[in-house]
Amino acid sequence: MNQAPFAVAAAEHDAPASAVRSGETVFEIRDLVKQYDTKTALSGVSFDVHAGEILGLLGPNGAGKSTTMKILTGFMSATSGSVRVAGTDLQSDPVRIRAMLGYLPESTPLYADMVVYDYLMYAGQMRGFSKQQCHKRIVEVAATVGLRDVIGMQIAQLSKGYKQRVGLAQALLHNPKILILDEPTSGLDPNQIVEIRNLIRELGKNHTVILSSHNLAEVRQVCDRIVIIHRGTVVADGTVDELEGQVAATHRLIVGIEAKSGVAETALAASLGQLDGVRKVTLSHSSQTPTQHWTFDLECSRDLRVALFQWAQSEGHTLLELRRKAQDLEGIFQSLTLQA
Amino acid sequence: MNSIWTIAKREMAATFDSPIAYIAGSVFLLVAGLMFFFGIAGSDDYFKGHEATVRPLFDFAPWVLAVILPAVTMRLLAEEKKSGTLELLVTLPVTDLQIVLGKLLGATGFLAVTLALTLVLPIMVMNVGHPDLGAVAGGYVGLLLLGVAFLSLGLLTSTWTHNQIVAFIIGLLLCIFFWTATDAILHLVFEPIPPVLQLFNFQVQFNDFARGVIDLRNVVYFLSVTAVAVVASTYSLQSRHWN
Repeated sequence: MNQAPFAVAAAEHDAPASAVRSGETVFEIRDLVKQYDTKTALSGVSFDVHAGEILGLLGPNGAGKSTTMKILTGFMSATSGSVRVAGTDLQSDPVRIRAMLGYLPESTPLYADMVVYDYLMYAGQMRGFSKQQCHKRIVEVAATVGLRDVIGMQIAQLSKGYKQRVGLAQALLHNPKILILDEPTSGLDPNQIVEIRNLIRELGKNHTVILSSHNLAEVRQVCDRIVIIHRGTVVADGTVDELEGQVAATHRLIVGIEAKSGVAETALAASLGQLDGVRKVTLSHSSQTPTQHWTFDLECSRDLRVALFQWAQSEGHTLLELRRKAQDLEGIFQSLTLQA
Repeated sequence: MNSIWTIAKREMAATFDSPIAYIAGSVFLLVAGLMFFFGIAGSDDYFKGHEATVRPLFDFAPWVLAVILPAVTMRLLAEEKKSGTLELLVTLPVTDLQIVLGKLLGATGFLAVTLALTLVLPIMVMNVGHPDLGAVAGGYVGLLLLGVAFLSLGLLTSTWTHNQIVAFIIGLLLCIFFWTATDAILHLVFEPIPPVLQLFNFQVQFNDFARGVIDLRNVVYFLSVTAVAVVASTYSLQSRHWN
């Protein structure tokens, strides 16, 4: 992507960004707390974002991802805590820092009454660029995000996918060092999702990208690093490999048992819990037909399949099922976010 | 400054792209025109008035402006809040004050165009007599200042809500209140009204303009009202930080 026409003008606006070098800390987020009346949206969120990485903010709906992003972009302030961007406190110079950011809010709000070209011209001029500079850049960005065919159309007439591209185009127009994308593929069809993901990966080569999502496949495919937020706190932070490695020490076993006559489910669970190496026993399924049997989800410190087989044999139970449960990103996410 | 002008241009385009501008403009021109002709000599025939003046326009136009201008300003920020575009706007490298000033400037463009269209009335009067051009100029300056004050009040109400209709109704009530109600209410309690309390009454400040007198105190008054409303709008916009 040729970004030369904007380079001079952008340099004037992006003075703090010019200080950002690959690998350096772009965002230092410390102890963010956001309180809405009686509800606490964030309760001490801290993490760093490094230059050149694609960071995925992952979490279930209502976890605090969008609130975090709104604070990072300066849309709203945290009740307490601090955000430093390239070494500068966000609160001390918000306008200067906003010039470094490209932001795509959730649901891509756009002026539906405007023509795509006029809207991008407006966005460029709001960032202080001349009409000529904007025109050159619009042509480049339209090619990058695939907007050429609809550049003369009214935004209201565009499909959701094209609107998303318009939102991305305005975020990219000033060639920002940092892109913040809030659920960028939400509401798109599968083909559009693949296109936008590929585009984000491509953008990640030249920009620091923070994107939020509740889609595990998306963050796995697109992101270099993942921060999982749940109920307003960071519950995991690392690369996919690191996160999977963190739980590799924990073995999950699924055990289906038909108990011998007269043994209740609670007694069975207690008996399983007493086995050496079993950390946690959770009943995941119960069935009365054709005979009474239960399925337990065991969290163990080591692979206990042999020990479980021997235990069932010695206790007189029938083992219907015994398998290891894969501990992938989905498992990590579930184990972190489904806890009470 | 560039950002303010860019926002103003966008607002002007959006205003004239919506039917509200044409409805409000037409209502203003129609009602102000009718009042001009009916009011000029207390009869229904302008040509029997035998007076080359546009004073009736300045007597009635403020009433119409108090009604139509909140209809123009109601969407300025309420619509941005409702559609979510406010999130993008305030995360651009502009201050909240620049956003408010840009919006106000854009709405002032509509006001200026609408007032310019009424210039046909003094031009017509000039063809049949010799009106006091100083009085005409004074009246238009007063209408512009009064109109901007109404716009700033309407803009303020637009920052309070997501709902344009609510913004319109509150804006309308505020404009009518400052134009008339204070006068009526104050008369119930005070006779005569103390000068300090007259500060709340737009009509008292505007009357000099309608007579063709441009008093600097009146100019400062309307500019001050506008400035207070602009600052209040800016704070209202900033309230997202702590709400």
